[in-house]
Amino acid sequence: MAEIQDDEVLDASGLSCPMPVVRAAQAMRGLAPGQVLRIVATDRGSLADIPAWAEDTGNELLDTRDEGGRLVFFVRKGSE
Amino acid sequence: MNLGPAELLARFSRREPTFLLDVRAAKEFAAWRIEGPAEVTALNAPYTRMLAEVEGDDLPRAIARYVEANLADAIPRGRLVVAVCAKGGTSAFVAEGLRSLGYDAVSLTGGTKAWGDWYDVRAVVDEPDLAVLQIARPARGCLSWIAVSGDAAVVIDPLRHLERYHEVVAARGARIVAVIDTHAHADHVSGGRALADAVGAPYRLHPYDAIHPIDLVPARIPYEPLTEGVRVPFGASVLEALHVPGHTIGALALRLDGRFLFAGDTLFVASIARPDLGGRAEAWTPLHHASLRRLLDLPRETIVFPGHFSSPAEADDGGAYVTSIADLRAGNDGARRALGDLDPFARYILASLPEFPPQYVEIKRLNLGLADAVDDRAAELELGKNVCALAAPA
Repeated sequence: MAEIQDDEVLDASGLSCPMPVVRAAQAMRGLAPGQVLRIVATDRGSLADIPAWAEDTGNELLDTRDEGGRLVFFVRKGSE
Repeated sequence: MNLGPAELLARFSRREPTFLLDVRAAKEFAAWRIEGPAEVTALNAPYTRMLAEVEGDDLPRAIARYVEANLADAIPRGRLVVAVCAKGGTSAFVAEGLRSLGYDAVSLTGGTKAWGDWYDVRAVVDEPDLAVLQIARPARGCLSWIAVSGDAAVVIDPLRHLERYHEVVAARGARIVAVIDTHAHADHVSGGRALADAVGAPYRLHPYDAIHPIDLVPARIPYEPLTEGVRVPFGASVLEALHVPGHTIGALALRLDGRFLFAGDTLFVASIARPDLGGRAEAWTPLHHASLRRLLDLPRETIVFPGHFSSPAEADDGGAYVTSIADLRAGNDGARRALGDLDPFARYILASLPEFPPQYVEIKRLNLGLADAVDDRAAELELGKNVCALAAPA
């Protein structure tokens, strides 16, 4: 699988719900539309919440990976 | 300002008006949510929306702003608002934000996970020589039972969190001498075989239910057959097996000392079991009809302990899901129809069947040792409330 290029990385490891989403929302504000945020989290609640947050906020979830408990999300900033 | 699963359940049993503000993702809410009696209403407002605009770390303030702008008319004042999330972390911030706006709001400790795993334990019979303990899993509407006489305990329809049964039996100073599944369950992962292994007791099941009804493949777990008329003595008491096919082809009900009936999935407090989970509703409905009539012809004073409930409102004031043959004959719509002729009963049954949950085929495979599952998969399959009863009549 081709590696997705990210423009910024947010390490939310060790943070529990709701902080991964809060930090992701804050980090996303610094990006331009079309740029990609890579989010790393360990809270398994993120598996439901990061995709829901991305969808609700007009961003696009490109990929989700579960690397042995380390959850990696790639979210492309929407144009809104 | 928290409320635990036990207190939430007590509110449900008392039918206290309660507003559940569930802040999980919409998909999670759609898949499964906390359900109470009619006095309980729920609203899904995903926290991911509440916190999408948060500056800094003042989460309660951000939530309060979101609620004022978007939910002011949707959340009632004058009754308790219980904020609910997956594990109880986010809901604590939500409750705090709501309180800052003057709402009477608390957070559900441990979230939907704690609610889903909560077991309610209570004695429904407590005599010098005999106790019957109800072990309920409210989130799923599942009931299991422990009968204790002297130092001997029989566990009926145990669910998969075995530590509860070990604790309860140990607290009574008893040991488990038999584990019985009244039928091969399709709606939840049985703890029966594993509990029997853990204590070195026989695991008993009717042999007809040891064949998967859809796959037509025999069980790969060992079991000791329990059939019509077989008696299972324990302490000073005795259980007697009644073969009551209908919900499953090998369904059992268990009479205890001629006074009590563990009904399994036949008669519930407010409904009756469905006969179609084996995929043969038309063939099994006449068997179901005859079995229900047989049970309803037991002495009227017989106390009945069912295998499921559909609503916490079915419990008595003490939280017990217990009825009697007399009350079932008088007030249970499905039972009253079973007392009538087969043809109208069959028409009623076939018109009242809820949707067949596809995961029930896989759950029964697990219960017969035809497939394996790790805990996460078992929990996923079990999501939500059982649908072993007929739908509520329209």
